[in-house]
Amino acid sequence: MIGMSYISFSFLLFLAVLMTLYLLMPSVRLRQIILLAGNLVFYICAGGRSLLAILIATTFIVYAASRLMGRVYEGFESETAAKELKPKEKSQLLASYRKRAKAVLIPSLVIVLGILVYGKAGKLIGFPETSDFSSLAGAGFRAVMVPLGISYYTFSAVGYLLDIYWRKTKAEKNPLLLLLSMTYFPVIIQGPISRYDRLMKQFGELPGFSYERVTFGLQRAVFGFFKKLVLADRISAFPAAVFGNIQEHSGLLVVLAVCANAVHLYMDFSGCMDIVIGISEALGVTLDENFSQPFFSKSAAEFWRRWHITLGSWFKDYVYMPIATSKFMMNRTSAIRKSGKKRLASFTAAAVPLIVVWILTGLWHGTGADYLLWGVYWGVLIILETAFAPEWKKLAAYLHTEPDRPLPGFLRMVRTFVYFCFGRMITALGCAGSALIILRRIFSGSGAREFIDGSVFTYGVDAKDFAVIAAGLFICFLVSIWQTKMHIRERIAKMALPVRWAVYLAGIMAVVIFGVYGPGYSASSFVYGAF
Amino acid sequence: MRERVKEILEENFPDIDFESSDELVDDGIIDSLSIVGMISALSDEFDVSLPYEEIVPENFNSLDSIAELIEKYM
Repeated sequence: MIGMSYISFSFLLFLAVLMTLYLLMPSVRLRQIILLAGNLVFYICAGGRSLLAILIATTFIVYAASRLMGRVYEGFESETAAKELKPKEKSQLLASYRKRAKAVLIPSLVIVLGILVYGKAGKLIGFPETSDFSSLAGAGFRAVMVPLGISYYTFSAVGYLLDIYWRKTKAEKNPLLLLLSMTYFPVIIQGPISRYDRLMKQFGELPGFSYERVTFGLQRAVFGFFKKLVLADRISAFPAAVFGNIQEHSGLLVVLAVCANAVHLYMDFSGCMDIVIGISEALGVTLDENFSQPFFSKSAAEFWRRWHITLGSWFKDYVYMPIATSKFMMNRTSAIRKSGKKRLASFTAAAVPLIVVWILTGLWHGTGADYLLWGVYWGVLIILETAFAPEWKKLAAYLHTEPDRPLPGFLRMVRTFVYFCFGRMITALGCAGSALIILRRIFSGSGAREFIDGSVFTYGVDAKDFAVIAAGLFICFLVSIWQTKMHIRERIAKMALPVRWAVYLAGIMAVVIFGVYGPGYSASSFVYGAF
Repeated sequence: MRERVKEILEENFPDIDFESSDELVDDGIIDSLSIVGMISALSDEFDVSLPYEEIVPENFNSLDSIAELIEKYM
């Protein structure tokens, strides 16, 4: 069972046992206990066994810090309730309490974030990964321990601590609910990056069996398996074969590989999200959405509001907004504005926090120079778009185009897809000059020969695979269009029984028949599980 | 107060109709970038400093809630 992933046979077995036990439990308390046991079993089987202690210790630190800060603010509330204070006096009093809360917040953040930074920085300077404390000590601490899912649970934990510090949420008193959130098996490996306050509220009232909820959840999971096993795993061989021998290829073939690489990532990551959000829905816990038809986006900024939504919204709430609205930034931009440079002031207000966010987003994905470059690339694109919005508007008016009309709108979607593909090129080969190497190959020849003589079908994806991919992508495209207009699962549920079951069975059969399975059914792992 | 806030916001954001909705943030009429600009313009004008905990969508959803927020910290 070692290395159990969401698409392994062992996981399906685990899920069947867990769901049966969980849904049979007559009370919330018992469902919580079964779920916690399931979380721990999953974490251990998914390869996190030796470092489970770090996850539990982190949970303990987060719980202690949140409760201490909660107690500080309880003191503030009882003091303000006893006195009649004007708003200004109240905010002055709060400042003194906040200082005390900060004394708890800072050390807890240093520890929780420190473990993540140590792992990432250690990997960057070439330390090997180890999975137990004795070999870490044996290596003279010149190795790193990276607990499974650390990039995800650390961000959620930091967000929770900051929310308490900013008094946007209250500290949860029941440690079981926090432990359930921090170990929750659907989100621990790849997200979505959850807001613990919202998760804990749901864990506190876990509902019992509901036919509709369980079937809806499992339907969504099947669609996720379809995206991952039928499409992502079938597509991935093509860019891998072309990029693996990039100097031999050119022109159209490389362009096709770049597009396939982009579509593969979407199918892989959003497929996983459909699986985990669906499973969680069946358990009665609604997770935040991570995708909202991102390829229909008309700009880079919109793309990042629709792709990996929970990461973008985390950076917005915990990095972008705090920097942008900080006293330091406000004073700086105010000084610039007062000197008469209004345009520069608004540019600075937008650009400085954005570039910080994007450098950090790059580092979150990977610590190499290619990821740093990737972050800067997106940062610059978004700054060009948002900070120069008035200029773009003037240009559109000058050219007499209405950017939201169907044709310009479609062209903007294509442009956003090109932005995304170029971004993928920066990290595709795993070296700093990746995008340049690929671009050079694209312009070094037509690459048409492979399409004429049929050798395009020899790069891990044959003609039959191409047909399955084309049909699968068409289905996903239709689903995306329908999703913008209706609730598809509710619509299907209202259909006549034979039609309904024909749809369900067709979905399951498609995964079983067309899914790409490795030896012993261990389909390839998810791309985003490695962060 | 409300009128003064409205005047400043309309001067800085001529493209946004602040009276058009009571859910300016939730309806997508103003985004985080405009919120930052609004805070900056209002802080300058009224010489207030807003704590981060107040920067939540509910406080920026309507002209009334924005005016109320500023008044609270004056």
